[in-house]
Amino acid sequence: MITKCSRTQKLDFLRDRQKKQVNIMQLNPLTIKKIKRFKSIKRGYYSFILFTVMIVLSFFAELLVNNRALMVHYQGVYYFPTYGAIIPGSTFGLDYEYETEYRILAGLFQNQGEGNWLLMPPVPYNAYENDLKEDDYPPFKPSLKERHYLGTDSIGRDIAARLIYGFRIAVFFSIALLFLTYIIGISIGCAMGYFGGMFDLFFQRIIEIWSNVPLLYVIIIIASIMVPNIMILLLIMSFFGWTSITWIMRTVTYKEKAREYVIAARSIGATDFHIIFKHIIPNTVAIIITYAPFSISGGIVLLTSLDYLGFGLPPPTPSWGELLEQGWANMSAWWISSSVITAMTVTLVLVTFIGEAIREAFDPKMHTVYE
Amino acid sequence: MTAYFIRRLLLIIPTFIGITIMVFIITRLVPGGPIERMIAQARQQHVISGAGGYGSAGDQQDQPLSEEQIEELKKYYGFDKPILVSYFFWLGKVLTGDLGVSTRYYDPVWSMIRDKIPISLYFGIITLILTYGICIPLGIAKAIKHKTFFDNISSIVIFIGYAIPGWVVGILMLMLFASHWDIFPLGGFVSGDFEDFTILQKTGDIIRHTILPSIAYLVGAFTVLTFLMKNTLMDNLASDYVRTAIAKGLPFKKAVFRHAFRNSLIPIATSFGNNISIFLTGSFLIEKVFNIDGMGLLGYESIVERDYPVVMGILVISSLLFMIGNILSDICVAIVDPRVKFE
Repeated sequence: MITKCSRTQKLDFLRDRQKKQVNIMQLNPLTIKKIKRFKSIKRGYYSFILFTVMIVLSFFAELLVNNRALMVHYQGVYYFPTYGAIIPGSTFGLDYEYETEYRILAGLFQNQGEGNWLLMPPVPYNAYENDLKEDDYPPFKPSLKERHYLGTDSIGRDIAARLIYGFRIAVFFSIALLFLTYIIGISIGCAMGYFGGMFDLFFQRIIEIWSNVPLLYVIIIIASIMVPNIMILLLIMSFFGWTSITWIMRTVTYKEKAREYVIAARSIGATDFHIIFKHIIPNTVAIIITYAPFSISGGIVLLTSLDYLGFGLPPPTPSWGELLEQGWANMSAWWISSSVITAMTVTLVLVTFIGEAIREAFDPKMHTVYE
Repeated sequence: MTAYFIRRLLLIIPTFIGITIMVFIITRLVPGGPIERMIAQARQQHVISGAGGYGSAGDQQDQPLSEEQIEELKKYYGFDKPILVSYFFWLGKVLTGDLGVSTRYYDPVWSMIRDKIPISLYFGIITLILTYGICIPLGIAKAIKHKTFFDNISSIVIFIGYAIPGWVVGILMLMLFASHWDIFPLGGFVSGDFEDFTILQKTGDIIRHTILPSIAYLVGAFTVLTFLMKNTLMDNLASDYVRTAIAKGLPFKKAVFRHAFRNSLIPIATSFGNNISIFLTGSFLIEKVFNIDGMGLLGYESIVERDYPVVMGILVISSLLFMIGNILSDICVAIVDPRVKFE
């Protein structure tokens, strides 16, 4: 009777601690300390802010880069054509039923001088349209007058537009890839480390095979037979890309499993499920997070490489790799490759700085320096 | 320890079978193999030879090869058997050293690969020398001058190099130094009129073609190695034995190079063996950017043209090299650091 009582007490105590642990997930003094440390690393912190701003802005890319006007004032009525269905030209007194050509309409309004006006986005082109000239062949040089700030590519599409939409696709592609690979990697790696034995051995062999398969090579073989869309590309890449995080997770789980709190939890009868999800995974989050930025930059590079080789997203999807390919084939059109390389450098360097700062904040390596 | 390495060598076998079987199945499941291409070719020839070179649309619909011919072809390429059977058939031939025949050029795969090895090897060795020749001194300098202006500036440069992949750096360099300023050639390994050059010109020509690709290769391996060198050297400099050595009157320089430096080389050795795979197989992105006719480009082109015997042949060589490289790395560690015991 006495033992039973103490057992329930123990359970109570543990439940209490667990509740605290749930709170810990939100605001644990250690986490606060880590965040503070991260903020104190200025280079990484500002990179993080800048990168977040870039992502948020790219969410609203339609408002910044578009061939639809932001706002049209026509005969006393306001129109906001950016989102939603197309507005046919006849709405604005033009003689066609297809989508209004706002750039031309702007000139018309000015000539008419009837008080109608419209406001175009900063870059008045979308990523797919070809802006051709009658007396010249693309690629066209950057020109402020025509509002092709970074020029056009070799079939007359605005580079700034393609860069920004390409950024959005690449970043969200990498984030999705990160989630897929981490879900697979964490579950398999955790199971390997926790259960060990035959399961571990089996997956060790599988990982050895998987990580020896030349990734780009196999993706190209598969992509050469079917034109992949984003979903298929994501599936192929996560199918071959899960091994590294699995291996990390396995090692970490092994370490965590041997610690006292896991033994304690098991001794009072916690189930495996409970131990893995309530104890081990929350304790490994810090380590996993330090790898995430590098996975993101890896994803961007992988997608760009594939697009460069012509096996990535199907054309005419805006993509950095495709622009790089054009710049490479068209060296004299320096504005193509220089703008895409600049964009790529800025993005990747930002992500790397963030990654370094997170690593330092979460796992500070104090170097004792020789004096 | 010998037992350990023998076990590691034996483990290559199942892994090798796993890798090749996976890629083999993928190549087998896809359409557009050699037979489809041959039918298309025969159709073209049929059209050209027949009716004075102008084939009508009706002609093109004809099947130029008879059923028996197709069956024969399938037999020739092993397509008539189930995937696993033809895989083991292929594996058996590989074991006797026969990688098969290219379905595109009808050359033996091995001789095609052998032709490309010297170029890839050339760039591999140059990259290797440059990487170790620059990273180790730079790492030492950065460790000794930790947190100085030189250290911070070089860290930023190295970080940027780490962030951008080598082939993108390659495109940038081509744009600047080959297209804009015309200092270096646009790619390839030798100039068009190479044959007429004197030996001095030939060397100069090759060097001019080598510099940009080597930098592109260098960018990839540079950062990790430099920082590894710097961090381990700093750890060693702060450790007790260096302190003792200096306390007993050894000059700082000697303490660094005789004691700390030698111990810092151990972690560098952990990746040394992996060089042999980069060495021979190269990076097909960099080879494509610079139009270098090495193994990487051969692999890329054979995938594009669905020349699967070549694809498989390159896979055999690169995966074997990769696995042997891993073992070599471990051996290097065991040689450099006598404390390491592999069980």
